[in-house]
Amino acid sequence: MSKTELDALLKGCTQCGLCREACIVERLGAHSITSFLCGEDDYSSWLCSSCWHCQEVCPQEVDIHSIMMAKRRQEQPPPAHEAILVNALRFGYALPVDETVNELRRLHGLEAVEFVPGEWLEILLPGQRGGRTGG
Amino acid sequence: MQSLALFPGCLVLQRMPQYEKAARRVLRELGISVESIPHAACCGAPLESFSDKWLHLAAYNMSLAERLGRDVVTLCGNCTNTLLRAKVALGDPSLGHEVNDTLEKIGLRFEGQVHVKHLVQLLAEHLEDVRSKVTRALPIKVAVTHPCQAIRPSEVMHFDDPTQPQAMRRLVALTGAQVVDYDAEQDCCGSTLCLGDEKLGLEAGRLKLASADAADVLVDACGNCQLLLERFQGLLRQSGGIEKTAVLTLPQFLGLAMGIDTDDLGIGPATARELIGSSV
Repeated sequence: MSKTELDALLKGCTQCGLCREACIVERLGAHSITSFLCGEDDYSSWLCSSCWHCQEVCPQEVDIHSIMMAKRRQEQPPPAHEAILVNALRFGYALPVDETVNELRRLHGLEAVEFVPGEWLEILLPGQRGGRTGG
Repeated sequence: MQSLALFPGCLVLQRMPQYEKAARRVLRELGISVESIPHAACCGAPLESFSDKWLHLAAYNMSLAERLGRDVVTLCGNCTNTLLRAKVALGDPSLGHEVNDTLEKIGLRFEGQVHVKHLVQLLAEHLEDVRSKVTRALPIKVAVTHPCQAIRPSEVMHFDDPTQPQAMRRLVALTGAQVVDYDAEQDCCGSTLCLGDEKLGLEAGRLKLASADAADVLVDACGNCQLLLERFQGLLRQSGGIEKTAVLTLPQFLGLAMGIDTDDLGIGPATARELIGSSV
């Protein structure tokens, strides 16, 4: 994200700190994207519970989510996020799928599910199966 | 009869059949039929932090539901949030064209007509129907935890109070239960946070359970909440400060009050005895 793009997204932010008060990550003692909005450098865009509370309470309607997503695409992801991404690209689901999924469902009296066909996934996410996506 | 397409999301589909079957059973009790969406994939959420391809997966799933001619009911806050935000984003004509160019290669098209709503919203719209189906009063104390991503951002979700949500409280109160206030009610469960920092995420869950300790049962409505607060509860208890707490999903709890067989709700005998005593 260029500085111009970031400045546009931050337009209106008065660093009032309401986002930071709403943020559970901050209350747990760590630094989230809301620390960045309050002018600090020590934060991780990946330390987020995705609860959207910060954006909801922002009186200036700053699009915090878009800032966070743009920053995430520039920062090294934690292993668990990357693992889920790889699953989504490879299987089409956040978790690996095989026949055990339908066996479990059958045990609970649920119908078997038809998974997304691999060739469709190739079309939906071209050239991205098994690896990281570009920004 | 209202007919909907069920989008359970990866976690519920693959790991939480108890939640899905309770949802299906309770909806059937209310005269709402649901069917699975053949070939549905991940909602797209895990891709958003890496690329705009998340929109393709979200549109793919919604176009499958449109082809079935059914609106969508979801069980997970994250899926609800992702699908609805994608629907808004795809209102941009150039993005919409780009996505449809891809979908057309597999014979699909996203028209943007499908409605997507979370189970809590659907049930809240049938409050009187739920009330009429309650046959067993549950005079117990209940703490509710709300599916945060299904109610925020409010400008997209258009459902419930975004910072003091009431829908789940109203639904649970129909059973005769006492909905208790607790400090961490509006806090996220910590499930998604676990992916970035396991220790912090687990601590969020532990604090929520500790805060809700006056309740006999905690009721949630999201696969992520259920994962952290119920499935990971053993891990949370290792850090101390919390007792073993029953955690049920909303349709499991409402199903109990409707007198539905606990097997059909995926509720184990020990939890059932704890909540409804010898009437099991």
